[in-house]
Formats: sequence, structure tokens, C-alpha cells
Amino acid sequence: MEILDKLTILADSAKYDASCSSSGSKRKNNTTGIGNGNFAGICHSWGADGRCISLLKILFSNSCIYDCKYCINRSSNSIKRATFTPQEVADLTINFYKRNYIEGLFLSSAVIRSPNYTMEMLIKTVLILRNEYNFNGYIHCKTIPGSDQSLIDKLGKLVDRMSINIELPSNNSLKLLAPQKEKANILQPMSYVSNNIKLNKLDKNKFKPNFVPAGQTTQLIIGATPESDLKILKLSEGLYNKLNLKRVYYSAYISVNNDKNLPMLSSPPLLRENRLYQADWLIRFYGFKANELLDETHPNFNNILDPKCEWALRNIENFPIEINTADYFTLLRVPGIGVISAKKIIRARRTFLLDFQELKKLGIVMKRAKYFITCKGKYYDKVYKFNQSFIETNLIYQERLSIPNKNFEQLSLFDNLSPTKEDTIKCLTGSL
Amino acid sequence: MSNWKLINTTFIYDGTFDGFLTIVFDVYSNKTLPKQICSKDLYIPNFLDKTLYINTNYEKSKRVFVGIEKNICYEALYNSYNAFLSNEKDKDINILKYLCEGFELGPKINNMLTNSYVYKVISMRKRVLFECHRLKGLLRFVEVQDNLFYASIHPDNNIIEPLGHHFINRLPNQYFIIHDKYRNLCFLYNGQTYEIIDSTNMNIPQFTESEKLYQNLWKAFFKTIAIKERKNPKCQMQYMPKKYWKDLIEMKY
Ligand code: SF4
Repeated sequence: MEILDKLTILADSAKYDASCSSSGSKRKNNTTGIGNGNFAGICHSWGADGRCISLLKILFSNSCIYDCKYCINRSSNSIKRATFTPQEVADLTINFYKRNYIEGLFLSSAVIRSPNYTMEMLIKTVLILRNEYNFNGYIHCKTIPGSDQSLIDKLGKLVDRMSINIELPSNNSLKLLAPQKEKANILQPMSYVSNNIKLNKLDKNKFKPNFVPAGQTTQLIIGATPESDLKILKLSEGLYNKLNLKRVYYSAYISVNNDKNLPMLSSPPLLRENRLYQADWLIRFYGFKANELLDETHPNFNNILDPKCEWALRNIENFPIEINTADYFTLLRVPGIGVISAKKIIRARRTFLLDFQELKKLGIVMKRAKYFITCKGKYYDKVYKFNQSFIETNLIYQERLSIPNKNFEQLSLFDNLSPTKEDTIKCLTGSL
Repeated sequence: MSNWKLINTTFIYDGTFDGFLTIVFDVYSNKTLPKQICSKDLYIPNFLDKTLYINTNYEKSKRVFVGIEKNICYEALYNSYNAFLSNEKDKDINILKYLCEGFELGPKINNMLTNSYVYKVISMRKRVLFECHRLKGLLRFVEVQDNLFYASIHPDNNIIEPLGHHFINRLPNQYFIIHDKYRNLCFLYNGQTYEIIDSTNMNIPQFTESEKLYQNLWKAFFKTIAIKERKNPKCQMQYMPKKYWKDLIEMKY
């Protein structure tokens, strides 16, 4: 088979994985090598779906021995199958890298022959890159559930990031849709990797090999199974707190297979995915807890308002907030004020007290924030009533105005609809 | 700075950072602010203007360079160098005022964001670094000879030097040329040293056989990796504005 055909088949099979980030690694180059890590990550292109392309994202093989119901590569599907050789993947990576198409490699694979055999193929590929080509660019590798710990260990010392996709957010769903995978097979290697990362950080030996320096990530499929947003968010929170995951990716389910256990969706639930990313962001950088954003009486997010607005309206007694005295984390809780804006405010008010005029000069967007703040004790001009229903009506009105064709599944209220945008850039632009 | 003398003169200089710092030195020691500052390439003579050509003096520029970090802070140096690469016409005068005020006030100058030239300098710095970061990803090399790579770019700001450094760190053994077609500048790297030259009369090289293969592979990958159920051209365009497309292999069909 021609390399072009292989690439087309194996990129097509890999495209549903949301992760593409190349951030978090400071791997240095040496004088004879090629490539380095960029801590902030670099996006190289954007596909027609608006998702960033940063890594050569391919499967090593799509000839799977398993039959997970939701997956395009399941053994019972009749699709074109292909398998690379380690040398082919390494050559592609190096040649793409030299032309600056990519930041590195994201290699995943279906299970061929056995989990261990598959792992060995991945390791072989990475070994060629690191040792023969002296490649110091970014490598993200999937761990194959059910493979030996010694193999995980070996791979972990070579790559920058590792991931195991949980995919289905509960045990029941997993049993139903991925009967050959076991929860233990997924969570065990995850905690093993997480422990090793911790130990590696404690080890002060300068010459030790780094172990997964950019951390591990996972992915959850949204909308294939009945779990609520609350349940999903709690799972993510647990993964961040207990297993120290770098990222949890959410991937709106796309109907690729017909199965009685799967819903038939006409379009992927992109808005829901977007809401989860927004909430995930609030948990990781804004000090919110899953319990604050949702509870048993409100287990799912709102179509029109983003999670922070929704939270603020439900907790209106915490507002208004005085811009000139509120601390950093309180400022961050104001809808429309993000990390950058909060920092700007704190910096600027050191020299003098701020009013609305100055906030505008600082480039703070008032659209949402104006309902929740005061400057030197005064409300914003046109905000003459401070009560929940007034604010809610206005916010909803505004959001509707800003959506031209009322097509909620397509809209991008948050400019990071694409889950793949780099963390740091997100940090700079993502104001909620 | 409020009691300084204002003169109705435009200072002309050679357009280099050293030239600019020379002006900063003169202005600060004489406590006299010019009306405008303009690089000689961009200056359009005007019958009404009074002009003065300032010769670049490396002794002076070095003293200012060191002085900024010592007497203001590193951030001020970082801000002014990067803002200097901006394509905004009044960048020079704004950076000048920012630095002069900085010498009086020290590091707290960077908090005064409601001050118009401080804000200006900081936003120019941001725009320059943003574009530079963007091009670190969007630049495309083609192989024109064994191990010699060529890339053309059309950036708004003059970012060829920081961009070149990025690729030297990344691909130290690869010979490469980065060609800024707007400014007719070339960044040449031969595996050891680099220089930036004028490229007005340069022939643009043809690419190698194997090059075609990898371009096709890349295009195929690019097309395949997008999920058609999630098509979102607006989002694509927002991150990858059209103005950069002419140098992108995957966007040329
Ligand atoms: S093991 Fe992975 S590739 Fe194979 S069917 Fe399941 S999800 Fe798909």
C-alpha cells in the first residue's frame, strides 16, 4: 500500500480524538538534534472544522481486535484497514517537522494482535525518533489499556505526554458499549503514570530521564450515554484532584455506527461540549468547584447562558462587587472578567482608583460584567436596577442578539469552541 | 517629562534599534522632545517639516540599552524592543515617551496603563509577539536543495529576527532562508551563524523532487483530519486569517 493511502486511512481514524495540544514540555534541543518543546505550545494550522492542528495525529494501525460499539475502528465494521511500520511513522514525522508543518507526533493505535504487541510497536517508533533521528520535539502517545507496566514505564521515559481515553463517563456505559475494556484496565495505568510523574519530580538527580514531563490527559465522549453534566464534571474534578491530570478533553459524540445501544444524533452536541469546556476551565483556573456550578436540582448546563453567568445569577447575593477593593479570586467570579482582565485591574488600581471610563480604557469588556460590578460604589450608567430577573432578562436578550441564525449547536459564544486550542493562548484570551 | 521643551522638528534616523536608542540618549540628555521620529525609509519629505538627521552612535545606544534594564526594569526593555518591531507609524515617538517617563518613574511605569503611550507601547508589544507566535506555527519550509530550506512570509510586523532565532534553536543543523517579501529581507542561516540581508534581487529557488511528495502528504493529512460534521470555516478563518494563506501549502489548491 502506498504511504499516501496509509496516511489518509490512519489520519481519518485518528481524527475523533480531541487532544492536539503540544504544550507543557520544555524539552531542550542539543547541537546535533532536531526539534525542541515549546512550553506554551504552537498551533501550525487549522482544519476546516476550526480545530487546531499541532501534531501529526495518526493511528499506528486501525485493525482492531476489539469491538467497542461507538468506535469507527471496531472489528465488526467493514472499513479500509492499514498499519504503518515504525520506520514509516518516524520518517513522516521528521519530514513534516523539518518543514514546520507540525510540532510533533501524536501516536495512538487500535489494538493489533494484543495490547502488549501494540505497545511494543509504539515504543519502537518512538525509539527510532528519539535515538536514531535525535528528535527532541513533542511526542504524545496513547497507552494501550491492558498492557504491561514495564512497557508503560519504557514509553513514559521517551514521550512528553501520555493519555488513556476513558471515553465513557461511567462504569455502566462502559460495560454496555465497550464490553472488552474494563474500568480497572483504564484507571490502573492512569494512577500508575500519575504516581511515576510525582516520583520523578521528587527525584533531584539531574541526569534522570524525564517521565512524561507534559503530564497525562484523557478524553470523555459527550452525548453517547445518559450521564448528566454534573456527573461528567465531577468525574473530571476527581481526575484533576486525585490523578493530577493535565487536561480532560470532551468530545461531542458523532454517530458513526448503528447500534441499538447508541443514540442516533443528527449532529454532534457541540454546544454541550462547549459548556463543559467552559466549566472545566472555571474549575482549573478560577477556583470553582463542580458542586457550585451544578447540583442535583440543576444537573445540566443552560443553552443560552454560559456556566459563569448562570452561577452568578443563582448567587446574586454575592454581587455587586466593588472593582477597587475586590481580591483577585472575587474578580474572577464576575461574568465577563477573565484572568487577563482581573490582573489588569489589580495592576492599574495600584496607581489610582478606577471608574467605568478607565475600565474601558483597559480594554475590559463590559457586556456581561456591567451588571455585576460597581466602581467607587456606583453602578454602571444603564444598569438602574440590581435584581436577578432584570439582569437575567438583559443577559438572555443580549445573547440572543449576538446569535444571528439561532442555530445553537453551531454557535461559538466562547471563542474556544475548538477544544484543541493551546492552554496558554486560551489563558490569554478566554475570559468568561 | 512635563516641563521638557517641545521642538517642532522631526528626527530622521536609519531605522535600526541602535539608531532609535541613540535618539533616546540625545532626547533624554537635552530634555527636549521632538515632534515626530521617523525612519529614513519611511519618511516622505514635506515642505513644512523641519527635520534633523540623527546619526547612529553605538556608544550611546549601548548605554541606553544597559540603562533601561538598570534604571527601569527588564520588562521595559522587553516592551520597547518588541514594540519597536511594530509596523505602526508612530511607534518611535510612543516608545521614546514611554522610556523617558520610565527613567523618571522607574518600574512603576508599567502599571500606568491608562496613560496613552504606556498603553500604546504595551499593546504594540502584544501585537508583535502575537504575530511572531502565530508565524512560528504558520511558516512553511520547502526543501530547495538537500538540507537547504526556504520559507516566504508576509508579516505585518518586522519579526524576521525573533522568528529566525526560534528556528535556529529548533533546527540547528538545517540550513534555511526566511524571506520577508513585504520588506525584502532575508534571514540566512548556515548551520552556524546568521545574517539578515536585503533580498531585492534574489532569485526564488525551485524545490526538490522529494519536496513534492511531502507537500502532497501534508495536504492529504490536512484534508482528512477535519471532521466534516463539525465544519466551521469561520473559526478556521479567525485563527488563520486569509492574509497568511498565500504562504500556506495546505491552503493553496
Ligand atoms: S479498542 Fe480502541 S480502536 Fe479498538 S474498537 Fe475499541 S475504541 Fe476502537
